[in-house]
Amino acid sequence: MFDFLKKVFSNDETSSRSRANDRLRVVLTHDRIGSSSQLMETLQEEIIALIARHIEIEGTPEVHFITEGRHTALDISIPLKGR
Amino acid sequence: MEKKNSDSQVIVVTSGKGGVGKTTTVANVSTGLAKLGYSVVVMDLDIGLKKLDLILGLENRVIYDIIQVVEGECTLKQALVKDKRFPALYMLPAAQTRNKDDITTDQVLAVCNELKPDFDFILIDCPAGIEQGFRNSIAAADKAIVVTNPEVSAVRDADRIIGMLESANFKDIKLLINRLRPDMVRSGDMLSIEDLMEHLCIELLGVVPEDSGVVISTNRGEPIILNDRSSAAQAFNNVVHRLLGKEVEFMNIEQDSFWSKLKRNLGFKH
Repeated sequence: MFDFLKKVFSNDETSSRSRANDRLRVVLTHDRIGSSSQLMETLQEEIIALIARHIEIEGTPEVHFITEGRHTALDISIPLKGR
Repeated sequence: MEKKNSDSQVIVVTSGKGGVGKTTTVANVSTGLAKLGYSVVVMDLDIGLKKLDLILGLENRVIYDIIQVVEGECTLKQALVKDKRFPALYMLPAAQTRNKDDITTDQVLAVCNELKPDFDFILIDCPAGIEQGFRNSIAAADKAIVVTNPEVSAVRDADRIIGMLESANFKDIKLLINRLRPDMVRSGDMLSIEDLMEHLCIELLGVVPEDSGVVISTNRGEPIILNDRSSAAQAFNNVVHRLLGKEVEFMNIEQDSFWSKLKRNLGFKH
């Protein structure tokens, strides 16, 4: 009984459709700029290393692609340590 | 042949991935346009792997092909095959025993320019892939229809093709979603129209639902657009009207009510 109610009201976060959307988002972003999925890690490491040489970083910096239409931008967020 | 308009539109139908329905689209859209009285020629550039003659049911009428035209073995007029049903529809066949490198972009351009005075629409059936055959197919076109299926591999290839068309300075690129299964979208097992629009970000030209009638019409060599009762035919008709600049509402194929959702999950067929 609960199973079917869950199915009726679920917002399908685990559906194969949402998996397909997630995978496509990643793969299309990389296809468009001609990069590999490894790039993100490399970027994160190198950017952090560069910033850390000059200012103290606090917490975990984040590097993301953001897409608008068919255009892509790099979104870098680096929390800095306050005094 | 009587032309309706003074200028001609050259439209390439392309997809990247094979088997998504390019040839079916070309056959149905061209038949639909010819049915409305426009003079139309379809150019099969899938050299070595031709299908368009079969889909249109014209395989027994083919005498010459486009390679023989560019090599001077026959004239363009001799190679054009007249459709059985509509006198305004012609097909320029591909060669089956040659390959994509046997014709250059300049030669395709020259053939297109020779066709323009006689036709309102020139539709180009582009081969799968991004090689010479694709470059030949887009060279002469000023509009593109990108055909895709609601499936990750087809969407990825469509995205690549759209990127290549944009680099080639195409301003008019439209999306045709083929073989959508509304029941699967509703149950969360297929990418929806909205999903595809979000990923590909180009204007939507049409959505053709999966329809077993397409196989049957292919078997017979009669484009499904001639079968008024089929949903695919209705979808292709809408595509034809949108190409002609008319505003046609999109069919509500994905919509589902609460009750049918409930019934489906209780095990009833809708």
